[in-house]
Amino acid sequence: MSLEKARNRYIPMSETMFYILLSLREARHGYAIMQHVEELTRGRIRLGAGTVYSSLGKLEGDGLIEPVSEEDRRKIYKITSVGSAILWEEAGRIAELYKNSGGLL
Amino acid sequence: MKDKKTVLFSAFRGGNVVPANFENWFERMAAEGWHVDRIRQWNSLWMTFKKGEPRKYRFVCDMQFSERKEYRATYEQFGWQFLGRMASFRVWRMEYQGQRPEAFTDKESVVARNRRTVQAVSVSFTLFLIMSIFYAVWFIFFPDSLSAGDRTQIIAAEAVFLVCAILLGIVMLRIWRNRRR
Repeated sequence: MSLEKARNRYIPMSETMFYILLSLREARHGYAIMQHVEELTRGRIRLGAGTVYSSLGKLEGDGLIEPVSEEDRRKIYKITSVGSAILWEEAGRIAELYKNSGGLL
Repeated sequence: MKDKKTVLFSAFRGGNVVPANFENWFERMAAEGWHVDRIRQWNSLWMTFKKGEPRKYRFVCDMQFSERKEYRATYEQFGWQFLGRMASFRVWRMEYQGQRPEAFTDKESVVARNRRTVQAVSVSFTLFLIMSIFYAVWFIFFPDSLSAGDRTQIIAAEAVFLVCAILLGIVMLRIWRNRRR
């Protein structure tokens, strides 16, 4: 998928997608992603199997992540350059939100 | 005491056409000690439960037209037990205490699961609809090609197809109205 199309589809993105992409800056399988996200959010987000499976399928289909290896039927994924670019843009958008909402807190 | 119980049309009883209701129904059965350990193709029509210890299980129904090879491995690693499937409708189970486990943890994936379920129903719905339109057109526009006996048969067929199409339409509508859970 071209960057332009990916931008259209993924920005702004859901928390689930954001944290999955963030986790896949390192190669991980589905369960490891869930553990990593749980740790990052201190237990607030505990991704379910169905959500992880369908999100990985979607992200792989759109070329934001790619499988790098496989062990016991578990695919290990890593973010692609398109995925990184999208993640970077989304992080920028969130940083702007954070900056602009500073006065509220 | 009876140690077996057969339920007819389990997938269509009460509100069970809505996947979340079907899951809750399985959960209530398990809490009363009624268990089904394997799900097979025809279990939507009849399903036999065996009496055992009451257990706290979370069930998940997942419609997947084709599963990628890591599908089962992913669920299993998260602690789910695969019970089987009725056509593309897969049933998972997990024993729990405390917080009830979820397989779909955001709104998008819950809605997507329900959308896939509606799509599955829409295949049969479309077939019945096409058949009922076909017979209606035949009957209305080419009545002369039909003998009296043919007409009776066509009206009977039309009634069956139309009723099926309407029922499936209601099922789709009901699932769609409950798509957020």
